[in-house]
Amino acid sequence: MLIFLYKFFWRAVLGVVIGLRYLGVKSDVPDGPVIYIANHNSHLDAISMMTVVPRHRLHLTHSVAAQDFFGNSFFRKWSMENLVNAVLISRKKGANDVDPIEFLDALLRAGRSLILFPEGTRGVPGSMGDFKRGVGHLASRHPGIPVIPIYLDGLYRNLPKGRAMIVPFGGNLIMGEPMIFSDEDVDQITSQTQKAIETMAQQLRDSNRI
Amino acid sequence: MNKLIPMWGMSAEIQWVIFIILCILVASSVAWFILGKLKPSKLATELQVRTRSWWVMCACFIVTTLVHPLVTLLGLMYLSYALLREMYPLLNLDARERNTVLVCYATVPIQYALAYFGMETLFLAFIPVFMFVFIPFLLVVRGETEGIVRSISLMPYSLIAWVYGMSHLALLFQLPEYPGFTAGPQGLLLYLIFLVGMNDVLQFAWGKTLGKRPVLPTVSPNKTWEGLIGGVLSITLIAVAMRFLTPLNIWQAALTGFVTAVAGFMGDAIASGMKRDIGIKNSGHAIPGHGGYLDRLDGFSAAAAPFFHLIFFFCYH
Repeated sequence: MLIFLYKFFWRAVLGVVIGLRYLGVKSDVPDGPVIYIANHNSHLDAISMMTVVPRHRLHLTHSVAAQDFFGNSFFRKWSMENLVNAVLISRKKGANDVDPIEFLDALLRAGRSLILFPEGTRGVPGSMGDFKRGVGHLASRHPGIPVIPIYLDGLYRNLPKGRAMIVPFGGNLIMGEPMIFSDEDVDQITSQTQKAIETMAQQLRDSNRI
Repeated sequence: MNKLIPMWGMSAEIQWVIFIILCILVASSVAWFILGKLKPSKLATELQVRTRSWWVMCACFIVTTLVHPLVTLLGLMYLSYALLREMYPLLNLDARERNTVLVCYATVPIQYALAYFGMETLFLAFIPVFMFVFIPFLLVVRGETEGIVRSISLMPYSLIAWVYGMSHLALLFQLPEYPGFTAGPQGLLLYLIFLVGMNDVLQFAWGKTLGKRPVLPTVSPNKTWEGLIGGVLSITLIAVAMRFLTPLNIWQAALTGFVTAVAGFMGDAIASGMKRDIGIKNSGHAIPGHGGYLDRLDGFSAAAAPFFHLIFFFCYH
């Protein structure tokens, strides 16, 4: 089901209708749990990232979504959990909530991959906010797990915040080299991953300047 | 003219043009391979990448042209759509103009359907008459007028440039039978593709070998007078030599070739000017070594409508 949805249906929609260009996507990604991180501007972000997850890892890969946004209607919740294979975490600290980092940590220990948007929100269209420290916490607890930075360009034009209709405008998905951390601390990892994605964005802009 | 492969149902002219295209592709692949081995340079690598892309493009063009008229039409329709889709993100449109963009996309299948069902008059009028008024109105009806002049100019322009022009190639299939002419619409289509493709290649080649004086130094420094004149003259000769694909006589073919080459150059120059204003080198990355659809098809879509109308004037008028 997920394979059909992402490897055929969404791959075709993104490739043929929307005209998304895939760059640097390698098939020999490390087997086992991986943390994918990307900048976040659109609901298409998680979908487009699911299409580059290796086929046999698809059902083991969870995008991390906000409980307060996706958990508040039955349809959203159902579609996130069943069609996007997402896990919902709470963005605010509540008294009786499980600590989201502990929860994601447990998923990684169980051999699951995660799709994270460290900005924590879709933010301002076309611009990238500062990363939250969640990715740093997770990567520092699991030194062996590679963090794969992905830069998503232009998807916010196809499906901006607050719109329901996809209007094709093209875009780029650029997958960077896996980053493996050993003894960096939380803040170092957070800033290095943010830097990696910012560099990819800059390179894309520079490559097409006159 | 005799068939190269007698068993194959395709007409002799089409078989010959495919043979000629294959010869050119093989010759240039071999030439750049040898050049790259003898004198490895950036130019040699670029030529190899470009030639590889030409192989893919020629294969797509030839297969979609020959399989079935409906496949040809769908292929052209996708090209128009891809051109629009490549242009709109460059224009920094307002998020509220998304609905109008959607209407612009919707004109593509309508325009090609009009060509497929042979409604020539409506086909000719649909975009420049009806959409020309309707799309600016859609922009106005939103009630916000800030920056609207730009959108009012750009959106109908994008439709004329990338949908109206290209769709004339689909209308070639509606031309009536012409006594003694066997290559058919497929022949005419391959003739135009061959002329415009060769036009780009030859202007590039003449410019690289002899080019000194730039034609449009502030728009596109790589285009030279030598390249332009050499290209236009060669295309005029090639058009005469390849006129077995058309019902044209020698003078008509020469004029068609000349107009096609000049229109191709103009389309190229217009696209270069727009890209320079926006501040980008290429409009996209769909075709390795060439850029996006818009970079490759700017000449085609500018030459398509003049080509159709010349053929129609000379032979079906």
